[in-house]
Amino acid sequence: MAYALVALGFVLALNASGAVNFAHGDLVVLGGAVAVLLAAWLGLPGFLLLPLVALALAGAGVLAAHVAILPLARRPPEASFVATIALAAMIEQTLTVTMGAAPRTAPPFLGSGAVTIAGVPLGLQPLAIVIVGAILVVALWFLLERTQVGRRMRAVAADRHMARAVGIPVRRYVTLSLALSGALAGIAGFLLGHQFLVTPTQGAGHMLKAYIAVALGGWGSVPGALIGALAIGLFETFVSAGIGDAWASAALYVAVLLVLTLRPRGLFGEPVGQRA
Amino acid sequence: MAERLATLVGIYALLGLGYQIVFGQLRALNLAQGALFGVGAYATALTAPYLGPLALLVAPFVAAAAAALAAPPMLRLQSHYFALATLAFASLINLVAVNAEDLTGGANGLVGFGMSLPRGTILAVAVWLVVAAAVIAYSWVFAGAMGEKARLLRDAPLVAASVGIDAALWRFLAFVAGGACAGLAGGFSAALTGVVSPEVTGFPVMLLCLTAVVVGGTRHPLGAVLGAAVAVLLPELFRGLQGSWLLAYAAATLAVVLWAPEGLAGLFMRRRALPIPLAATPVSGGRRLALDHVSKRFGGVEALSDVSLTVDRGEIVGLIGPNGSGKTTLLNAIGGLEPADFGTITIDSMHLERLPAHAIARHGIGRTFQTPIEGETRGAGLARALATGAAFLLLDEPAAGMTDRERELLAGQLRGLRRDRGILLVDHDVELLTRVCDRLVCLDGGKVIATGSPLQVRADPRVRASFLGVPA
Amino acid sequence: MSIVLDTGDFSVAAGEIVALLGANGAGKTTTIESILGFRGGFRGPRAIRLFGEDVTSLPVERRVALGIGYVPERRRLFASLTVAENLEASSRLPAAQRRRRVHEMLAAFPMLGERPDARAWLLSGGQQQMLALARALMDRPRLLLLDEPTLGLAPVVVADLFARLRAAAAEGTAVLLSEQRASLALGIASRGVVLNRGRVVRLASARELANDPHLADLMAGG
Repeated sequence: MAYALVALGFVLALNASGAVNFAHGDLVVLGGAVAVLLAAWLGLPGFLLLPLVALALAGAGVLAAHVAILPLARRPPEASFVATIALAAMIEQTLTVTMGAAPRTAPPFLGSGAVTIAGVPLGLQPLAIVIVGAILVVALWFLLERTQVGRRMRAVAADRHMARAVGIPVRRYVTLSLALSGALAGIAGFLLGHQFLVTPTQGAGHMLKAYIAVALGGWGSVPGALIGALAIGLFETFVSAGIGDAWASAALYVAVLLVLTLRPRGLFGEPVGQRA
Repeated sequence: MAERLATLVGIYALLGLGYQIVFGQLRALNLAQGALFGVGAYATALTAPYLGPLALLVAPFVAAAAAALAAPPMLRLQSHYFALATLAFASLINLVAVNAEDLTGGANGLVGFGMSLPRGTILAVAVWLVVAAAVIAYSWVFAGAMGEKARLLRDAPLVAASVGIDAALWRFLAFVAGGACAGLAGGFSAALTGVVSPEVTGFPVMLLCLTAVVVGGTRHPLGAVLGAAVAVLLPELFRGLQGSWLLAYAAATLAVVLWAPEGLAGLFMRRRALPIPLAATPVSGGRRLALDHVSKRFGGVEALSDVSLTVDRGEIVGLIGPNGSGKTTLLNAIGGLEPADFGTITIDSMHLERLPAHAIARHGIGRTFQTPIEGETRGAGLARALATGAAFLLLDEPAAGMTDRERELLAGQLRGLRRDRGILLVDHDVELLTRVCDRLVCLDGGKVIATGSPLQVRADPRVRASFLGVPA
Repeated sequence: MSIVLDTGDFSVAAGEIVALLGANGAGKTTTIESILGFRGGFRGPRAIRLFGEDVTSLPVERRVALGIGYVPERRRLFASLTVAENLEASSRLPAAQRRRRVHEMLAAFPMLGERPDARAWLLSGGQQQMLALARALMDRPRLLLLDEPTLGLAPVVVADLFARLRAAAAEGTAVLLSEQRASLALGIASRGVVLNRGRVVRLASARELANDPHLADLMAGG
């Protein structure tokens, strides 16, 4: 479910800017790091930290938009791609310099214990991830499909030039999308950071999984990204239980190559087609 | 120290040059170049104890073989999917390097092979000789018609197919050639450091390569050299910053992307690319293009239904029909861009319906498109179709966007071309078609509803109702 | 009649249809885009006055908000949005009015009303053009800019499109229609502006232009 938040943030940024945001994985790590720092400073419980982390990372998203995406709006997508790669390296290095390379533990959302529901013991943190994730997914769906702001965000994603021509302030919407994308990344980083620790170099891994999820689900499709992310999560859980982590990752990459060989446009195809 | 840096610059220049072929020329975002560099390094390290300096020559072949092996499933993929597939391929190589301990020494890597390889000045000279040769070869290959073909592939892949360029073959060759460069660079780097560990297959190498090429310039061969120099020398300059040199390097890359989009090479080198026309071959080949019972569905929609028609050399056949009646789809089916589901398409007795687009183009079918390539005039599309020596021309609304006078000129041009060619002409301007065409075919809902002389077809009540907006 | 648009070179009054004529590359799209504010003054008209106000320094979205509807070359619908969403996303009206207006437009364009939930890229060429026009009419613009709307359309669709432009003009909308095929546009416009290489070379009534034997030479730059 945390993968789903990473992938959804990724696809929002992708749609808004029309380019892969390579720094997205590092925003996830940054979310974990901010949670670690805020917990140390303020000593607040996890569920109160969540909005603060989301806000901080929304700010980081806005910054990313103004540094690496908006100035390159008229250039080919590779330009933004490389710019965000540079941004990713900058975030990673800044974190390494300030925090050190050693892993840190982010605070838990509710607590690190377990509850027993209907006889099944469930960790509080995984439970929190699923619940927070589900709430955010529904909220995002509502925003995109049922509100004018969401409709206009999708219009910007479909055709920026035309969006301006019907009076949509495109720069503001791109910034908003990146802020949302950053907030989702931050929340995901915070939630993952308790179980899987926070290390500056994790960014590329998060980014790769989001990339896979979005490509498998159909480029730019929000529900596709969600399904793709859940599929990756399930795949990893079951396969790594069977053959160990390293080979599970290998199996994932082989699976990706296989899927792309058989379905060159992802499992569910491209939602935005061109006619004539 | 200086010698070592110079060697390192040469190694990254070679890596970058290989990358330019794929990324710069074909605009394919290949993320496996770093991993192929690592493959070359391992190949050299593993064979050096047996082969001595010859192990360096093994590297490009092993890397090229790895690339060739992985390429077929990836070549069909479009931009982002290609990037992802190459990234997955690279991650696989990295996992093998870390986990196949018997072969690669696992995380500890391989050491002790360096004695059998050239070092010092000899290595530096060898690296730079190779770089110089590669720069010259690259410039030579992409200077003329090859460069023009690469531009078409980059900017207008459909047009490239319509003039007979085999995109899959190009991508395959570029990917393998780029991989060979990466492999050789990797071999040299193994000789330079004397150690090979899984890091050489890792993503940071790829990042270094990508940023170096972007900083230097993605197509000009000296861009790779400049980029490599910056990538290697900048860390030396920022040595005082200790671990944060990467931060400074990333910031510098960002600055170049923002303010010098053509890369450093673009700052002081003018692009001299003047498109050189593609070689024209004489018109030869079959006499009659024939479609027999051609059908095509998109999802549930019958785009073409049982279409039969012929075009002979020496005649112009006009194709009319309301919007969405299947005119462009029919041209795409003949040209192989959207192959028909049923029916046959032949030139004399040669079957075309199962051939890929570029092969159909080579059998003498030229094509123009509704939208011209950015920066080109409409005439360029027709000129390109003619330059292939096509016996049959498929023209999709060549008169759209023309003034009445330009239409007149076009009509004259078409009559001239008819002498030794067959032309299938789609347009909405019925007056123009009536003047230049020998026959008209009217499509509606994917079906042929009328065929005959222009006056006959225009008088047909069903045609009038569907197309001319006149009540039947 | 009140002047709605004044570019310094030509003007369009409320309720009037003006044809913007010229060959490929004569500067029709540049002119329309500079009225919208997409380009700096180069090549296009110098100062733009809309509804009596100098808007030369206003960005695109502010100009559009003054009451411009725009039908771009090759339609440019929001392909992944549905018909109804294309209309709604393009409106700046408050929510309740906006929804009412979407229903009105769907009723006014029966070929759109049949399938309001279809994704725009699934529509046929004629339907797409009608959606592009409906989108531009959503907020009842005082100025309607159309960039070669007849390109690739069958005559029967062109007739429908022109009928709707006449209706819009009859309600007081100023219409500027760019077109390469002079004969087509002069059949509906009251006046014509002929462009050549970015400059206005002729300004006259539609009847005068239609009977002008030198019109083709003017447009072709002879």
